[in-house]
Amino acid sequence: MSQVLLLVAKDLRLEWRSREIVISMGLVALLLVVVLAAARAEASLTPAAMWVTYAFGAAVGFARMFATERDPLTAVLLAPVDRSSIYAAKVVANWLAIAVVQVASLPLFGALFTEAVWTHLPALTLPLLLGGLSLAVVGTLFSALIVQTRLRDALLPLLMLPVILPALIAAMGATTGILEGQPLAAVAVHLRLLAAFDMLFAAAGMLLFEVLISE
Amino acid sequence: MRLLLTLSLTLMLIGLTWALAVAPTEAIQGPPQRIMYLHVPAVITAYAALAVVCVASVLFLWRRDPRWDRLALAAAELAVLFITMTLVTGALWGRPVWGTWWTWDARLTTTLILWFIYVGYLVVRAWAPGERGARAAAVIGVIGILDVPLIHWSAILLRTLHPQPTVFRPEGPALPVSMLIPLAINAAAFLTLFLTLLTLRVRQERTLTRLVEILEGGA
Repeated sequence: MSQVLLLVAKDLRLEWRSREIVISMGLVALLLVVVLAAARAEASLTPAAMWVTYAFGAAVGFARMFATERDPLTAVLLAPVDRSSIYAAKVVANWLAIAVVQVASLPLFGALFTEAVWTHLPALTLPLLLGGLSLAVVGTLFSALIVQTRLRDALLPLLMLPVILPALIAAMGATTGILEGQPLAAVAVHLRLLAAFDMLFAAAGMLLFEVLISE
Repeated sequence: MRLLLTLSLTLMLIGLTWALAVAPTEAIQGPPQRIMYLHVPAVITAYAALAVVCVASVLFLWRRDPRWDRLALAAAELAVLFITMTLVTGALWGRPVWGTWWTWDARLTTTLILWFIYVGYLVVRAWAPGERGARAAAVIGVIGILDVPLIHWSAILLRTLHPQPTVFRPEGPALPVSMLIPLAINAAAFLTLFLTLLTLRVRQERTLTRLVEILEGGA
């Protein structure tokens, strides 16, 4: 656990110095919100616009998360820590990056789409956190897979988006219900799917990451 | 190999003739129903291919034997081929019978998403050659199968969000024997064709590996 925290702190320090990921991810996300709102800004389209924005923001930002390591992976693999801690730390760092994008885009969604985004914020945190984690667990594994391939940045969305589709559908369902003012119990079925997705792929990610990087 | 090929071609010939000429025309759907004789065998073969990809990927990650990797690659290519056939024949059948090319039914959605995941698998193989690419592809091969129940579950949620006007009849009672026999023959034909192509493709990859070894050894 302390290993994970140590690695997360390292990633955050690196990111604080360059702000490369948050800026590229955040700008793409804000641009997407504006483009989607310009295309059509209806209250009923808000959940779809939100999750499309987060998914593409993640696909842009995650590709860089391993690339910030100088000579990707080699240095961090030399550190005397568990391989699964490396994965867990990157998931946490990516999750935080997505959370930053989510928080930063909420004012825009409220202003351009519907103010329900602000008024239902407490309930909304649940799908935002669970869905953000879904993006992080799958995105981290895939960005580790392709960090040394050609056309890395083009490949991540291609691989990531179909796999996270079930999580996106569930997150959009939960967001729709909450924005319509339904109680949390009404969207429990969506939240359960999100939680199951997160647990399954967190476990699979941890196992597969170890197999993937062992020489 | 030659035996498998002959067997699959013979079965295909018998099965298709039976399906087109001998089997009775379905009372409600009419002639389009005969697409089933291609559609169902294609989907059975596609899922058999995906099972081979998954098992071979796990074994490759575990044992690191390139033989499993070649098997997974060959099966993944065929899986994409047969999933494409499933989607195309399904759409062709859906237009006259359901009145629409496509609908977000759980089974349809799952098949479409699997197509995207395994096309991604092939893209990784093309862009990341060598041991690292093979390992990356194996991870995708496993993840794709893990995703199947979740995609199915989410597609059911999607359908309750957007009710469909089309009434989905459950597949109904078992098919009459006159339709079941040609279907079974076609399924057997497709599966043997799959085995034939799989063997061929694995051999091809093995020859390629040997050739590369010889060339590198000689240099």
